[in-house]
Amino acid sequence: MFQWTKLGQVFEPAKGGGAPWMEEYAQAPSVVVFDRFIRVYFSSRRRPDERGQYVSRLGFIDLSRDDLFRIAGVSREPILPLGERGTFDEFGTYPASVIKMDDDFRVYYAGFTRCESVPFNAAIGVAVSRDDGTTFGKVGPGPVLPYSPDEPFVLGSPKVRCFNGVWYLWYCSGSKWVFNDGKPQPVYKIRMARSADGLHWTKHGEDLLENVLESDECQASADVFSLHGKYHMLFSYRYNLGYRIAGRGYRIGYAYSDDLYHWTRDDSQAGISTSPTGWDSESVSYAHVFRLNSRVLMLYQGNEIGRRGFGMAQLESVDGETVIV
Amino acid sequence: MNWTKLGKIFDPGDYILVAGPGQYAQSPQVLVLADRARVYFSTRTRDVMGKYLSHISFADFDLTFRRVKTIAKSTVIPLGGLGCFDEHGIFPMNVVRHGEDLFAYTTGWNRKVSVSADTAIGLAYTRDGGMTFEKVGTGPILAASVHEPFLIADASVAIFEGVFHMWYIYGLRWLDNCPEGESQRVYKIAHAISSDGVSWTRESMPIIPDRLNPDECQALPSVIEYNGTYHMYFCYREATGFRNDRTRGYRIGYAYSTDLKTWNRDDAQAGIDLSDSGWDSEMMCYPHVFYCGGEVFMLYNGNEFGRHGFGIARLSR
Repeated sequence: MFQWTKLGQVFEPAKGGGAPWMEEYAQAPSVVVFDRFIRVYFSSRRRPDERGQYVSRLGFIDLSRDDLFRIAGVSREPILPLGERGTFDEFGTYPASVIKMDDDFRVYYAGFTRCESVPFNAAIGVAVSRDDGTTFGKVGPGPVLPYSPDEPFVLGSPKVRCFNGVWYLWYCSGSKWVFNDGKPQPVYKIRMARSADGLHWTKHGEDLLENVLESDECQASADVFSLHGKYHMLFSYRYNLGYRIAGRGYRIGYAYSDDLYHWTRDDSQAGISTSPTGWDSESVSYAHVFRLNSRVLMLYQGNEIGRRGFGMAQLESVDGETVIV
Repeated sequence: MNWTKLGKIFDPGDYILVAGPGQYAQSPQVLVLADRARVYFSTRTRDVMGKYLSHISFADFDLTFRRVKTIAKSTVIPLGGLGCFDEHGIFPMNVVRHGEDLFAYTTGWNRKVSVSADTAIGLAYTRDGGMTFEKVGTGPILAASVHEPFLIADASVAIFEGVFHMWYIYGLRWLDNCPEGESQRVYKIAHAISSDGVSWTRESMPIIPDRLNPDECQALPSVIEYNGTYHMYFCYREATGFRNDRTRGYRIGYAYSTDLKTWNRDDAQAGIDLSDSGWDSEMMCYPHVFYCGGEVFMLYNGNEFGRHGFGIARLSR
């Protein structure tokens, strides 16, 4: 059982402090630690167009290491271009997972395209930075993780990690679209792939987690880390339909593994849930765990799938034992 | 190469196909059986919005292609479900024999918003000798990848010296500001190899030089070995104005190779071109070359992308 202490909300677009283009939403925080600050990458949006459609873009805020609630820098413009006409990421880049390996920065992100019979499709792309993680350019115009016979659409929510020199990508894979009041909603499950270079991936090809809510439960955002000799996964899950109704929206679930392939789900150990009131009272999701000095910290998004921004929590203990980093 | 045209051999207007009254019989591709030559093709219906859906059907011919013995009586392969890569059409389908097995490589179509459609390549197997096919999954085996951003299509597979070769096309770009009023695509022929026909390694680069200009569209490659050389037939056109302007529409292109790596394009040697009048006088497209009974044949479509059916030519030896 994890025990987290919530430290409070870090960033809410409507309250200012970000860039002018960050009008709504601050979703899927992902951290790279710098010497004097931590850079929190996340997806934000301008207000929707006349048809109510959004385009998610990638940006960051820098939080001072002296005071993690003080914004020390911000990306004035989106830092990853949208795709050209007809490409997988023409209509949005969300969510993203940034990794720094030696001096190389890479971002793994889900690109969005718009379709006729269903509202969208998603696929996972990679971009690299030549300026220390300030801006990113794609490795190519297409996705790095292609659709396959048993992963037909909606490949999203990438989270990249390296363990023992091997690259791992956790992501969600759509399995079907379900009609809800005439509007299709995708069902997606957490899967993984492995790679020697982070570009050529071998898919594991199986859902990693059992379902708890219903067979159409949606699972995403699998954040994996190693601590106390085990691998831990915090992920997000919700009901397929009616997830904007309180109680059916995203929660943070938990699973553990010895080998990264076989996972035992036990959401009761996640140790973090909604607050009685406030910005994270209805929903918590998209946990991202990182180390800073001797602390283990989590960024996560709150109500309305991150419309209200993200906050921070600190890990106090695991199974009653003090955290040793 | 010198071809003798034998004329149009199938008009969909003469038949009631499974999908409905016939319109279009596109991209004919053969499976030679003991007593017949089965020719798969794509025909079209319209959905409730009035937009086309392409479906695979077939016609069985005698081995000289003079007579239609029968046509498909049931659905050959169903379209994909909601949101799948082949939800809005399968066009074309290439059936390949490997020992006892038959592999069917499909091109699935799905409609989009900022562009008309995207495509990907699927795989299916048959349990009844090619009457019907079951897909290996709901998704594709070859879809957009990092250097092939969209429009993966037109798989044509041949097995040479134990290696599966696939020639196919992928999209390079969508052109804006076209006279058509909507974006038009540019696509090129590429090559992949496989040891099992299922997992493919792609080169992700165009392999056939352009003849017209950098926006030339190349489609439906088909390769045979003949007299110690590999011969590729395909079709090519201008990126815009190709539907109504005879001078910009599909023509038959040709390239040859001795090593399956380097291709020499030489359309002048194709040995087949538009007729002066008739069903293939304005356009020729979707060539499919194959052996049958010791002869080399080419199935192809004529005017209007095959709206009125397909014909055949025989290689003079």
